[in-house]
Amino acid sequence: MSLIDSMSMAKPNLKTRSKILAKLRGRDLVNCFQCIKCTSGCTALKLLELKPHEIEKLVNLGLVDELMSSDIIWTCVTCLKCVQRCPQKASPYHVIIALRNLAVEREAKIPEEFMKKVSQILETGLAESMQKVTTRKMETCDRESLKLPKLAGPKESFQAAFMKALEER
Amino acid sequence: MKASVFWGCRILTEQYAYEMSLREILPRLDVELADLREAMCCGDPVKSVNDFAANYLGIRVLALANLTGLKDLLVPCNRCHFVISEAKHLVDTDEKTREKIADLLKEEGLEYNPDVIVWHTIDFLHDHVGLNCIKKAVTKPVKGMKLAVHYGCQILRYTDLGRMDDAENPRKLDELINAIGAETVDYSEKLDCCGAHLMLSHVDSALSLSGAKLKAVQTLGTNGLVVSCPDCGLMYDTKQKDAASTVGAKLNLPVVYYTQLLGLALGIGQEKLGLHLNQSPVDQLLSKVPA
Repeated sequence: MSLIDSMSMAKPNLKTRSKILAKLRGRDLVNCFQCIKCTSGCTALKLLELKPHEIEKLVNLGLVDELMSSDIIWTCVTCLKCVQRCPQKASPYHVIIALRNLAVEREAKIPEEFMKKVSQILETGLAESMQKVTTRKMETCDRESLKLPKLAGPKESFQAAFMKALEER
Repeated sequence: MKASVFWGCRILTEQYAYEMSLREILPRLDVELADLREAMCCGDPVKSVNDFAANYLGIRVLALANLTGLKDLLVPCNRCHFVISEAKHLVDTDEKTREKIADLLKEEGLEYNPDVIVWHTIDFLHDHVGLNCIKKAVTKPVKGMKLAVHYGCQILRYTDLGRMDDAENPRKLDELINAIGAETVDYSEKLDCCGAHLMLSHVDSALSLSGAKLKAVQTLGTNGLVVSCPDCGLMYDTKQKDAASTVGAKLNLPVVYYTQLLGLALGIGQEKLGLHLNQSPVDQLLSKVPA
C-alpha cells in the first residue's frame, strides 16, 4: 500500500499543518507546484520509495497525522539534493525534518537510534562511542596507542544548557 | 598560519586515519592547529529530534572557536560542516533564534562571533593554503595513478548556505589530486550519496547505497576512490565488506582519505598517516606509490 492509499480516508489537520509551517520559518512549502524534480533525483526513492513531492502535497493538504507516524519520513538520506534543486524553494528536506521533530514531540514511534544519540550526547558529549579499531594485520588500536590526544567529557553546565535546548519547541 | 579545528564525533571515535593524516600534513604546509576545548557533538543526529537544540550545538562550536581568538575554523567532517553552516545561516538571519541561543551559551560563559570562518578540508587546502603552496611542498608526486573522487553530499549542498564548491559540478578535490600528480576520472555516479545517515534507521539500505556506488566505481578501472568525509570513509572503507555482501558483489576497491594521499606525496610514512587502519585493500594502491 502506498502512502497515497493510506491517505484516502484521512482528514486534514490544519492545526498540525500550521505547526509544520512555523517550523519551516518562511520556506515556501505552499509554492510547490509538483514538478517532481525532488523525487526524480531523490537518493531514497530508488531503495525506499521516498517521494518528496508527495510529502510536500500531503503536508500542503494538511494530511500530516498519518505522515508523522509513518516510517517514510525516516527514509530520507539527507543528501540535500531536493533542497538544492527545488525551483520553488519548497525544500522537502526541511519539511521532512519538521515532520520528524513533530513526531518526537508527539511521542510517535521513531527509530530508537535517534533518541539513543541524544542521551549519549548528554552523557559523553559525543554522538558516537569510542571504538577500538583493528589494522589490516588484525592488531588492535585506540586513541592512546595511536598517540592521539585525550578527550575530555562534558561539564555539568553544558549538560544543563543542552537539556534546556531540548525543551524548546 | 593558525586555525582552530573541530573534529566532530566520528573522526575522534573511529575514523582515526583522517585525524592522524590531517595532524601530519598541516604543519608541513605551515598550518598550526588548535583543538577546541570542551568540544562536543555538532548537533547532526539531534536535527531529526529537535532542530533548535541542533542549532544550539552548532553555534556552540563557533562560540568555542571564538574563545581561541582565531578567525579560521577547520571542520573536516561534511556533516558537521553542514550543521554548523546551517546554524550560522539561521542565527545570522533570525534574531529570535540568535537571542535564545545566546542565552544558552551564556550559561557556559560562551559567546557567538559571526566572523568565524568555517572551512572544510577541501576548501581549506584548495583556497586557504593554496594549490601552489601544496605543489611546492610535494616531494614525492603520486604519478601514474588514476583515481575516482567522492565529494559527499553536505559540503556541496545547499548553495544558499555558501558551500565550498559548485553543487552539481565540483572540481576542487579533483584539482587537489591533480596538484599532487595523479589523474582523476569523471563518472556518472560521482554525486551519489554514501547513505551513512540511514545507518540510524535502515542499515541494509544504507549499505546497499554504498555498495552500489562502490560497484560502479570499480568498473571504471581506477586505482582507487578518494574521500574526504568520515561518514563516507566509514561506508566505503570500513564497511566495504558489509556493503559488498548487501549488493552481492565482489568489491575490491582501495579507498583513501585525500589527506592520506597528500601525506604520501609530502613524503610522510604510511603508519603516521594511518594507512594501516584502512580496511579496504589499499596495498594495491600503495604499491603504485613511488618509494
